Amino acid sequence: MAEERRGSWFGFGFCGFGQALGSGRGRQVTSPEPLRAAGTDAEVCSVSASWSYTAFLSRERSGPIPPGPAPTCPRLLLSWLPAPAGAGQVQLSGSARGAAEGCRDAWASETLLVVLRDGRGPGAGAELQAWAPGSALCGEPLWAQTVVPEAQREDREDGEGDGTRARPLPLLPGARAYVSPLSPLYRPLAPELRARRLELGTEHALLLDEAGQVYSWGGGRHGQLGHGTLEAEPEPRLLEALQGLPMAEVAAGGWHSVCVSATGLSGHGPGVTGTTGDEGGAPASCIALQPFPALLDLPLGSDAVKASCGSRHTAVVTRAGELYTWGWGKYGQLGHGDTTSRDWPCRVEYFVDKQLQAVAVSCGPWNTYVYAVQRETS
Amino acid sequence: MAEDSNRDTLPGMGPLQEALRALLPRTKEELKLDLSENVHRSVLILLQQATNLFYEGRRSECLQTTEALLDYSWEKLNTGVWRDVDKDWRRVYSFSCLLKTMCLCETPGDATTVAAALKVCDMGLLMGAAILGDILSKVAAILQTHLLSGKRPAQGPAQEQPGIKKARNGHTSIPDTRSEEAVPRLHCPSLQYFRKHYLVPQRPVILEGVADHWPCMKKWSLEYIQEIAGCRTVPVEVGSRYTDEDWSQRLMTVNEFISRYILNEPKDIGYLAQHQLFDQIPELKQDIGVPDYCCLGDGEEEEITINAWFGPPGTVSPLHQDPQQNFLVQVLGRKYIRLYSPQESEALYPHDTHLLHNTSQVGPSMTFQLLPHPTPFLESRQMASLAFFRSTWRILTWRSSPGLLRPHSCPASCLLEKSCSSRLNIGIMCKPWT
Repeated sequence: MAEERRGSWFGFGFCGFGQALGSGRGRQVTSPEPLRAAGTDAEVCSVSASWSYTAFLSRERSGPIPPGPAPTCPRLLLSWLPAPAGAGQVQLSGSARGAAEGCRDAWASETLLVVLRDGRGPGAGAELQAWAPGSALCGEPLWAQTVVPEAQREDREDGEGDGTRARPLPLLPGARAYVSPLSPLYRPLAPELRARRLELGTEHALLLDEAGQVYSWGGGRHGQLGHGTLEAEPEPRLLEALQGLPMAEVAAGGWHSVCVSATGLSGHGPGVTGTTGDEGGAPASCIALQPFPALLDLPLGSDAVKASCGSRHTAVVTRAGELYTWGWGKYGQLGHGDTTSRDWPCRVEYFVDKQLQAVAVSCGPWNTYVYAVQRETS
Repeated sequence: MAEDSNRDTLPGMGPLQEALRALLPRTKEELKLDLSENVHRSVLILLQQATNLFYEGRRSECLQTTEALLDYSWEKLNTGVWRDVDKDWRRVYSFSCLLKTMCLCETPGDATTVAAALKVCDMGLLMGAAILGDILSKVAAILQTHLLSGKRPAQGPAQEQPGIKKARNGHTSIPDTRSEEAVPRLHCPSLQYFRKHYLVPQRPVILEGVADHWPCMKKWSLEYIQEIAGCRTVPVEVGSRYTDEDWSQRLMTVNEFISRYILNEPKDIGYLAQHQLFDQIPELKQDIGVPDYCCLGDGEEEEITINAWFGPPGTVSPLHQDPQQNFLVQVLGRKYIRLYSPQESEALYPHDTHLLHNTSQVGPSMTFQLLPHPTPFLESRQMASLAFFRSTWRILTWRSSPGLLRPHSCPASCLLEKSCSSRLNIGIMCKPWT
C-alpha cells in the first residue's frame, strides 16, 4: 500500500553526457522515462540539473507512510510525506561523477557545484561548499563557508515541512546572500528584501520575497526583467506590474522569466510563452520581445502551482497534477515525443496516459525532471 | 534562372572531398584548439569527442555532437553584450561549424547539400572567430568554386533586370540641394592638401576621380553580385529604419536578399547595411581599392574596417554619429546625405537609451523646420567620388529629459543622415581611424 503512493522521478530531454535520464541511451530522450533508481532505499527528493551533469539529492526514508489516502493537492502531498531524519546524499550523473554524504541541498552549474552540508562535528553549523564539477567531490572544495547558526534556525522555522529547505540554493540560509556561478561567488542581498526564493537566469536574477512580491535585476536586453524596457538593472528592482498580486513562485530561464501566482501564470521575456528556436537550431532571429509580464492561460483554465524554466523552455505543474511544457524542443525537453518547439503550453500526455499525477518539476538548461505519484484509482 | 541547375548532381564530388580534407591535419591529435579556462571542461570533452568521431568516419554521430556544441556555444554568443563575449566561445562555435561543414560534404550530394554546408560555413565566419589559420575562409572558397562550376555563366554584359524597372520610385522626396550649402568638391588633391585643409580641421569634402580605376566601377551589377556571392549568407536589416519598433535583423543568402528585397516589388525594406562583406567574400575585395588618404590616419593599416551597404531605394539611416572617420564610395545608384556640424548637436535630440545614444530622435521630415545649417550633398555614380566625413572630436552631447536639453560631454563626431533615391544602391565605406 505504501509503495503505491510512493512517487518517482521522470526525465526527458538532453542527455548527451550520459546523465541519468531514464534509459540514458543516445543523446536525447523525447518522452518521459522513469529514472534509474540510484539506490534501493534512497529516495531522490530534489534534482538540480546543469547542462552536462545532474545532481540528485536523496534521503533515506525515515519512517512509514502515514495511513489513509494521500492528499491530491501537490502542496499538501509534499508535506504529508514524512520529513526525513537528516541530511542525505548528493549523487552526480553525467560529465561529473561522484557522491557525497551529509548534504542538505545541492545546486549544479557548469562552473560550480554548490552543496550545503552538515557541519563536521556535533552542534556545528552547516557548511556551504563550492566544488569544481570535475573534482567528483573529492579532495578540497574550491571555497567553503560556515553558515551562521541563527540563519539555519530561521530556515527550519519557515520550512514547509517537506524536508526541503524553505530557501533553496542558490539563496543561502538566512537570505542575506546568494551564490553565483560567476565571480564573485558570494553575493550579499539587502536584508530588507526578505528573500524567500531566488532564481538565476543566464543574465538576470529573480527574487521572491516573503510578501509574494517579485524583484528582478541583471541584463534586460531580451525583456526578461519585466520592467517594460530592454535596459539592464544593476540592483534588485520591484516588478511593479505585479505589485499587489502575491506570487507563489518564480522561475528564471536563460533569457525569460515566469511567475506563478495563486490565480495563474505570467511570463515575460522573449515571446510571451518563452523563447522558441527555429529549425536551424539557433534562436529564431526575429523574436517578438515581451518586456512586461503577460498573463498566460493554460488550457481548460487549469491553475499553475509550480514552474521551472530551462534555457529556452518552460514547464508548469497544475493543481490537478498535469504537466504543461512549451518553448524550445530540439532535444526533446518538452516531453511530447518529438523535437518540435512549441509557442504555447501543451500538456505532456505521458503522465495522463499512465495515470500519474505530477507534483514537482525541475528543469536543466536542455532537459526536464518531473516528480510524480500514481493516481488513486477510483 | 540559374536555380534550375541546382537540382542536378554536381560533377566531381570526389575532388571536393579531397580538397576539403587537404585543409585538415592528417591526425586527430593535430586538430586542436588552444582554449582558455573560461571554456567549460564539459565543452572540451565534447570537442574531443566530435574530433574523434570525425576522424573515425562516424559521420552521423559526429553531426549529433557538433549540433550540441553549436547550440551551447550559440547560447554563450547570445549572453551579454557582443563585445564582451569571450573570443574562445566564438572559436568553439567556428570549430563546430567547421566539423559540421566537413560532415555535410563527406557523402556525395547535390548542390543543395553543398549550399547548406556553405551556409554553416558562413555562420562560422559571421559569428565565430578565426581558427586554424582562418580555415573557414578556405573552406568557403572551395565550396563556392564547386557551386559556381555547376552553374551556367552569366549572359553577356550587365543589363538592368526587368524587375528593377517595376520597383517603386521616390520613397522619400529628395530635397533640392541647390539652395543649401553644398560640400566642396576637389579633384584628386594631394595628401598634404587634404590633410591640411580637411583632415586636421575636420571638414567634410568630396574627392573626385579617386576611385575611377577601381574594377568595381565597371564590373559590378546585380548579376555579377549574384554570380560571385549569391549563395553566401549575410545579415540583413529589415524595416524602414533601425529606430522603428518593427525593425529586425535577419540572416539570408545574397540571392534571397536580392530576390526578396531588391527585385519582385518588395513588400518591406531590406538593407544589407554596415557589413564587412569584403572580409567574408575576398572575391569581391579584389574589385575595390583602399584610398591612399587612409594612410594619413594614426592607426595601423589592419585597423581599417571596410563595410558594405547594399540596398533598394528608400532605405534611410536615421541621423546619427559615427565614432570613426569615414570615406564613403558610391558604386551604383544615388544616395542623399545630410551632415550637421558638431556645433549643432544641441538641437538634435538624441535618444535616451544606451542602445540608441548616438541617434537622433528627429526624422528627415522635421529637419527643415527645426534644424539649423545642414550641409547636404547628393552623390551619384558618374562622379565615382569619395566623401570624407570628419569624426572624433571632443564635443557636447546631451541627455534629454522631456522637453529639455542639457549638455554633457563625451566624444562624438559629426552627424549624418542618408537616404537613397535611386533604384539600386551600393556604397562602400572605409573607416580608417578610431
